Amino acid sequence: MTGNSRDDIALETLFEAGRSERPLPSGEFLERMAARADEAAARPAPAARPVLRLAWLGRVFAASGLSGAAALGVWIGFVMPEAIDALTLEGDDTVALATFLPGTDLEAILDE
Amino acid sequence: MEDNAALVAPRAGEVPDSALLVAFANGDAQAGRQLVARLGPMLFGCAARVLGDQGEAEDVVQETMLRLWKMAPDWRQGEAKVSTWAYRVTMNLCTDRLRQRRARPQVALESVAEPAADLASVVELMTARQRSETLDAALSVLPDRQRQAVVMRHLEGFSNPEIAEIMDIGVEAVESLTARGKRALKKALYGKREELGFEDDRKQS
Repeated sequence: MTGNSRDDIALETLFEAGRSERPLPSGEFLERMAARADEAAARPAPAARPVLRLAWLGRVFAASGLSGAAALGVWIGFVMPEAIDALTLEGDDTVALATFLPGTDLEAILDE
Repeated sequence: MEDNAALVAPRAGEVPDSALLVAFANGDAQAGRQLVARLGPMLFGCAARVLGDQGEAEDVVQETMLRLWKMAPDWRQGEAKVSTWAYRVTMNLCTDRLRQRRARPQVALESVAEPAADLASVVELMTARQRSETLDAALSVLPDRQRQAVVMRHLEGFSNPEIAEIMDIGVEAVESLTARGKRALKKALYGKREELGFEDDRKQS
């Protein structure tokens, strides 16, 4: 038998002793742990704080509002294109541009 | 070797840990007490071996159980075993404590001289208590992760996949840790033979 395998056997003997001499907690410690469990069970689960809940609701509404508005716009444009026409300005684009660029000679620009 | 799965898994007709935890979250204190009775001794035994200090082991188990109670309302059945979760928390807490103890002198295993006495013949002469104490002393010089893996594999009786889950590493890494741990243990046993009482035992015999 090699020295190494004798060492392995010796080590296994020590492990075996370790398993049989398992460190055990004291009864007093376990009772203290059980008392802590009693206390924890009696305590109601913490509810979410109202401020946090409102903040969360605000985020949900903001996100759903934006996406909802976008979806509504697409839907209106698809099913009622004439309604979109009614909302657009009469006349040509020059009139509309002039409102955003006051004092600009649009005709001169367009002629260039 | 005693299989730890038998310790952790509920016996026939016994309520599973996860069901007890759900009952506890619903205010059933008795379920909490049962979990303390089931998990407390196992976690304590493992922590005491890894830390080599029963007072610190108590602190670690207490913290683990407090975290379990806090987490109970959010426990989702079927995701993990309560015992695996608890062992993982305990081992992480042990790691933190061992890191805080870095000032502790470590034995330079590489510099240990070749054995002058045969380990097997010395161990044969020891009582069961002496063997256990010798093992604890030798375990204390192992690197943290090796010690955890060796304790769980050879003293707690976990399988390598279970240890891998608890330590959050691969099975091969567990095999490597336990193999290196055993080699280091042998070196430590030879290197510390005087401190461990080898010489005295030989004289007595």
